[in-house]
Amino acid sequence: MAATTEQVPVRSRGDGEVLPRRSSFDFVIVGGGPNGLTAAAYLAKWGFSVCVLEARPELGGGAENHEPSPGFSIDPHASYFYGAAAPALSQLELGRYGLRASTVTNFGGCASPDGRGFFGAGNFFHEGKARDPEVLAQIMGVSLDVSKVFVEFMSALEPHMTDFFRSIYWTPPYDEKWGLTRSDLPWAQVLREALPFFDEVMLEWSLCEMMNAMGLPDPFKTGLLVGSWGNGPHPFHKGMAIPGFAVQQLMFYSNCTPVGGMHALAHSIIRCGLAHGARMYVNAPVTEVLVEDGRAVGVRVDDETALEEKTIRANMGVILNTHVKQLPGLVSGSHLSQDFVQRVDDLSLKGGSLFVANMAVSELPQYTSAGRELHGADYPVGMLLHSTEDQMLDLMRDVYSLNTHPTDPDHYQLWLIVHSAHDATRAPDGYGVITMNLQVPPPEDHRDGPDAVNKASGEIMETIYDVIHQYAPNMTRDKFVKTWVNTPQDSEFRNMAFVGGHWWGMRGSEDEWFSRKPLPELARYRTPVESLYLCHQTSYPGGLCLLAVPYNLMHILQEDYEQISSTTPEWWYPSKWHITDAEGGTR
Amino acid sequence: MSDDLSSVYPNLAGNPLEGIEFPQEHETDCVVIGAGPNGLIAAMYLAAAGLDVVILERRYEIGGGLATEEILFPGHLVNTHATYHFMTDYMPALTDFDLGTRGLRFHKPNMQLRGRINGDDVLLCRSLEDSRDSMARGSIKDAVTFGDMALRFRKIVDGVLGPATYLPPGAPLDLMEALDRTPVGQDMLALSEQSAVEILQEYSLPDSTLATLLYAACQWGISPQESGMGFMVPLMVDRGMQKAYSYGGSHRLASSFARVILENGGLILDNAEVAAIEMDGSRAAGVRLADGRRIHARKAVLSSLDPQTTFLRLLPEDAAPKEIRSQAESWTWDKWSLMSVFFSVRGKPTLRNADGNLSGDTFETVLGFDDFDDVVAFLESVERGEIPKIAGHFTCESAFDKTLSQVAGNHTCFFQMPAPYDYPWDARRDEIVAEVTDLLDAHFDGFRASVVDAVLESPHEIERRLPNMVRGSIKHGDYNPVQMGNMRPNTDCSATRTAVPGLYVCGASTYPGGMVLGGPGYIGAHTVCEDLEHPFPREYTRGINTYLDTYFPDGLPVA
Repeated sequence: MAATTEQVPVRSRGDGEVLPRRSSFDFVIVGGGPNGLTAAAYLAKWGFSVCVLEARPELGGGAENHEPSPGFSIDPHASYFYGAAAPALSQLELGRYGLRASTVTNFGGCASPDGRGFFGAGNFFHEGKARDPEVLAQIMGVSLDVSKVFVEFMSALEPHMTDFFRSIYWTPPYDEKWGLTRSDLPWAQVLREALPFFDEVMLEWSLCEMMNAMGLPDPFKTGLLVGSWGNGPHPFHKGMAIPGFAVQQLMFYSNCTPVGGMHALAHSIIRCGLAHGARMYVNAPVTEVLVEDGRAVGVRVDDETALEEKTIRANMGVILNTHVKQLPGLVSGSHLSQDFVQRVDDLSLKGGSLFVANMAVSELPQYTSAGRELHGADYPVGMLLHSTEDQMLDLMRDVYSLNTHPTDPDHYQLWLIVHSAHDATRAPDGYGVITMNLQVPPPEDHRDGPDAVNKASGEIMETIYDVIHQYAPNMTRDKFVKTWVNTPQDSEFRNMAFVGGHWWGMRGSEDEWFSRKPLPELARYRTPVESLYLCHQTSYPGGLCLLAVPYNLMHILQEDYEQISSTTPEWWYPSKWHITDAEGGTR
Repeated sequence: MSDDLSSVYPNLAGNPLEGIEFPQEHETDCVVIGAGPNGLIAAMYLAAAGLDVVILERRYEIGGGLATEEILFPGHLVNTHATYHFMTDYMPALTDFDLGTRGLRFHKPNMQLRGRINGDDVLLCRSLEDSRDSMARGSIKDAVTFGDMALRFRKIVDGVLGPATYLPPGAPLDLMEALDRTPVGQDMLALSEQSAVEILQEYSLPDSTLATLLYAACQWGISPQESGMGFMVPLMVDRGMQKAYSYGGSHRLASSFARVILENGGLILDNAEVAAIEMDGSRAAGVRLADGRRIHARKAVLSSLDPQTTFLRLLPEDAAPKEIRSQAESWTWDKWSLMSVFFSVRGKPTLRNADGNLSGDTFETVLGFDDFDDVVAFLESVERGEIPKIAGHFTCESAFDKTLSQVAGNHTCFFQMPAPYDYPWDARRDEIVAEVTDLLDAHFDGFRASVVDAVLESPHEIERRLPNMVRGSIKHGDYNPVQMGNMRPNTDCSATRTAVPGLYVCGASTYPGGMVLGGPGYIGAHTVCEDLEHPFPREYTRGINTYLDTYFPDGLPVA
């Protein structure tokens, strides 16, 4: 299954040929983000020849780091790695390829304008504090009755945590056509076993309803809601309570960053793929998926300056690590129905367009909310400011209903991450780096035009500095040495698959989740074109560099290719909840 | 089917990747410290030889000076260090491996170097005839003189300096005896005694041409009037007209090396600062990382770092002979560093009144000098720690590499100049950016108005990005007669072996030096294979064999 290439003779010393004019691989992967790279590593390790084509100058997609000023390492996109439960870590032996964790013991907290604060989400689990209702009541600022409910819930779930995570993220969605119900969902199966008090109604709740049922107050409650919102599942959307709750727990249980930042995660995946013979090219924009007899048979790369036009044949399949909205542009229209194209166009861009500021600071924020003593020497890496439900609703109203970025400082609900607090390599001695996120509308939706946020970025930053100062009085303007802003529009031109500048592809709503993500016919990673697959964070279960989409895709590829199912390696294990088409169709 | 994870996860004690991540202890054949061009090249050959290799890099990205970074954030990339690749015609690493199919591609622009000296444009091209045409605008005699000079330099580089870059240095007497065998060798010996100023002033060429050539010869750190460094003139002048650009950025070169390492079973660890070289008795036997991890080396430890870091910081005090330590202590850093201002601009900068322009874009444009004496005076005052004025060279990288700008219609370019380390950079930062902008605005149409963003990187910033470039030493140490040849870094270690068994040095501070020559890494891998009696995976290139046959028919003398 080696790659075959027709070599052009070397022209002169040092003038190597980049890509042969025509070459063929078993699989061609369009896009070198975490999902494309992981798919490449899986297939290469399985024994297939693989070619990854990335349009940008660097592999890794949103798993990137930069050093715009010497000594300051920033995360333009992803910051945390929540994927500790990913089978890919052991299946691809990413540790062997250099992956190391910088553990975040104090994941963070939240604070509200009335002076209340909660600190210590990480170590309160790690150190077992969560199992003592009295300690927990004090930390969360709740009554003993409430903390007992929380401890009971968590204690029942904890032994099942790996299954709980994997039943949501690391399992391929079921086909909607099988007619399964909510109670057949994989996570419903796990919860039914784990929780003696499980009630089917939990599956219909929104996350906010679940938090209310537990009696959790602000700012802790909103901290949890934003933890979900800022990672996909919308906290007020019905049916999303369990996925939303799960994403919080992913943060609390898995929280770490790869040593050096998220690009190091990409490096370990890239190196695994390359070590198994995958070929990976950057600055290689794919302009077209070649389709013959309804089947994807390759791609055309087109870069008029260097690579020239190249045809790369795919003997087995083409895997798109591109936004679902880019699919119709890559496949000639006659192969897709108008209805399909229309529904792809109609997919909402809302839910994850972030205004990001990476700030070099000469001092770390010293938050002065009540509860400050709780963090002590263990500095909270993440911090949510304006952590009240009303402020979240105000911001959501601005962003999703009025289609504008917030202008009222009270609506500036900010999520700060201070990576230099746990990873000293991120900033020079005496300095720190803060990443700040604020939800804004996607450029396409903004009522004042697509560049409205870019134009307002100076004013937005002024408000951000003020809000940080409100919670951390030491953070006067002179403490901010340099700021690098990355708006949703910037994300779009820096990284073409961040359509809408959306960080995790698409919002997490029940009507765009599991069997319906991003559309029912795409949920199992197949597309209307045979042997063309969508493996991107717009596929299930979405973003966050969980290495989940490609793991799930491998189940489907085994169903579709005898060459894959007949060569299952010893290191592979499937999801416990996987249902094949053959099995699903017989239900 | 196995699921080895569920037994350990979630790990409530702290590290969610415990049992999954890279182990605390790892054993391999060879450890290479530093993933700059030389470390990567060494690791590439050793891995291809079938040895188990781990290469360690302190930064978050491999490449060292082969760095392409988005410092004009967001959306504009620049090559923060190496932009011009001088040795692509000779470096065995480029032809020994099929790097093209691993993404590497060099461009060699024709208009290599434009000297704009006091309003006169001197054009040095990849094509000798195009250069001669530019000289002939004065008189045909100038063209003939220039052609003779270029040919003389080419013979020296092609016959001697190019191939010798990839062979261990000989003792001066052996080398003199060998070079004496041919007229080209004799010429090179004679040149070496002279200074750059002396060599160039022998030529009856217009002052603007000589000024341009002098800048080309000395810009990377040669004292114009220092004797004994004359061989750098043919090298830098000839190579200065044969520079290549790595499409996609210089980092692409590092990536293509890395691909070969990985495909041959090697391991690359970034974010892995080495804290110490560990000994097993008198032998170097591995390294300890700053995070406490240990990599044991069964066969060899190769350091591509500077001698002070290797011998004084990483090696235990009693491991190396005192003499090596004191030589490392007296190592001198580059006599000057570089100051760069990187710009993102709207539209491609167009040189005003470009004289004798050919089709295509100019790779390097020298600006701000009045004449030959001015270049000499400028470099000498930089060497004294001053910045007498803004003068240096300019390149619009995105003219050759549209991938550097992710914003349609925007370009990236830089102005760079020799600059001292000891200087109030932070205090004068804005002023200097303004002065550089003034200079460029005087030469490029509407430059100031087109600027989107500008970032100044001083020698301090160079050192902060790459601490191994101490005091901004882009070559890891000065080029002067006592730090070159078999004295780089000292007579005991210049052939990459050190007095410490199992320890090799193979970075820019080892013979033949820096500037992405790829020599030390190649020689280092060769030497390690030789000592292990392990076959080296590739033959010498034809050029190296010709050199050996011509000058060392009885083989290289044993050091």
